[in-house]
Amino acid sequence: MFDDNLFDKAFNLFSRVEKQDFEYVYRGYFTHNITKKILVLADSNIQKSVERSTIQKRIYYIMVEGLQNITRHQDDLENKADKYPGIFAIQKRKERYYVTTGNLVLNAKIPELKKKISKINSLEKDELKKFHKEVLRAGVISNKGGAGLGLIEMSRKSGNKLVASFELVNEEYSYFYLQTQIPTTKKEKLDSDVQDLKLRKSLISIKKLHLSLIIENIILYFNGFFNQGNLLSLLAIIKGRMNMSITTIRLSNVMVEMIQNIIKHGAERSEEISGAPGVFFLRQKDNSDFTLTSGNYVNEKDAANLRENLTFINEKSDNEISEYYDKILLDIELGDSKKSGLGLSDLRIKSGKKLEYSFHEMGNGNYFYILQTTVVNLKK
Amino acid sequence: MEPLIIKETEDTPEIIFNPEDETFKISKISVPEDAYEFYEPVISWLKNYSNNPNEETIIEFDLEYVNTASSKQLIQVILALEEVAKNADVVARWYYEEIDEDMQSLGERYAKLVDVKFEFIEI
Repeated sequence: MFDDNLFDKAFNLFSRVEKQDFEYVYRGYFTHNITKKILVLADSNIQKSVERSTIQKRIYYIMVEGLQNITRHQDDLENKADKYPGIFAIQKRKERYYVTTGNLVLNAKIPELKKKISKINSLEKDELKKFHKEVLRAGVISNKGGAGLGLIEMSRKSGNKLVASFELVNEEYSYFYLQTQIPTTKKEKLDSDVQDLKLRKSLISIKKLHLSLIIENIILYFNGFFNQGNLLSLLAIIKGRMNMSITTIRLSNVMVEMIQNIIKHGAERSEEISGAPGVFFLRQKDNSDFTLTSGNYVNEKDAANLRENLTFINEKSDNEISEYYDKILLDIELGDSKKSGLGLSDLRIKSGKKLEYSFHEMGNGNYFYILQTTVVNLKK
Repeated sequence: MEPLIIKETEDTPEIIFNPEDETFKISKISVPEDAYEFYEPVISWLKNYSNNPNEETIIEFDLEYVNTASSKQLIQVILALEEVAKNADVVARWYYEEIDEDMQSLGERYAKLVDVKFEFIEI
């Protein structure tokens, strides 16, 4: 079964993200441990593109506060957060970084949140500093630390107002989006109306993206630069979240091969960050099978090789592909070369299905290559 | 012969080859980008060892994740063991979690392709 529709969607998702200069988007589970991994992922994405280390530290700090905000709210939601994964995005537009979080909150909490944010936004720099001290001193910190200290810090570190927005999910819950912007240069400040407009535009693009991920039942989504370090973080996220089962093990194995495929073939697009830009996502509707999709740029030569390998592998029966796998395993000549097709054969064997793929011509001899595999959910 | 000890990293396994106390073990995770580079010294150590091996060598494979790049090198490790087996007794103990069919079938594939005695142990 060839789902053209999904390929188009994968491609649209990726190009939307590219056009908006997202550096990094993650949608999925957030726990304390996973948060650490997300930070590593995000930090490695921005590290090399920001020269000034004070700004880098500031961005890092804001990311930490933002992610802690997500996990804090999640604690109120029991298991509901699993069904409605949040989103975390870093976007760079011109001289500004935008850090955005989107997560589920109880509707009952919204008035309080709105109050805190508008209080923070009403204060000038010095007043904010004073307010920060007051809150600290008062020690009226609830058991979850929710006196708004994190929000105050995000506003102080960024030197900008916070932008918040709520989208109703149902009677009980809403998505709470929070955005902070961090200028990377000390150029004269934009007048606040223009600033505000830019922020809102950026927030809208993330909300739209989040909505498409929700509609498509995408439970884990990473868009950014792929390298070995990022692969290990994503692997830890999967491992840390799901119960160990044959399905999880297979998901991890398949994910390793798909992402290493991106690292190996993906054309690098930037000298600043090591790794290939691409997208990887995991989709599961209700309790059905998992679909894993990867997308990345390849050059013309690699595209031709891949096509040939994919056609060859898909033409084979289950037995034939297993025999072919043995053959390449033993063939020293083929070694680690890109042509061997060992990784693709492995994907075909583990998914037990033909591999689905498409190539989109991007001009300049570049192609956007989308690969899709299925992992059967044996726990159904 | 000098033992070969390689500490595990985030993406490469722990290797302990110590003929003196009869320990041979490859464990944890193996998902490096460049598996050739990692396994090259492991394979050459075994090739040397095959010239003068212990009477019996029991080697344990206790791996959690193996990427295809590593699976390609691991077969070279096992082929080197095949050389050892020409002059001595060799047993490859392949450990796998009960639910890890993929790890089990990788071991079975090796057992089929190479002339080394395999024992499968479900953890």
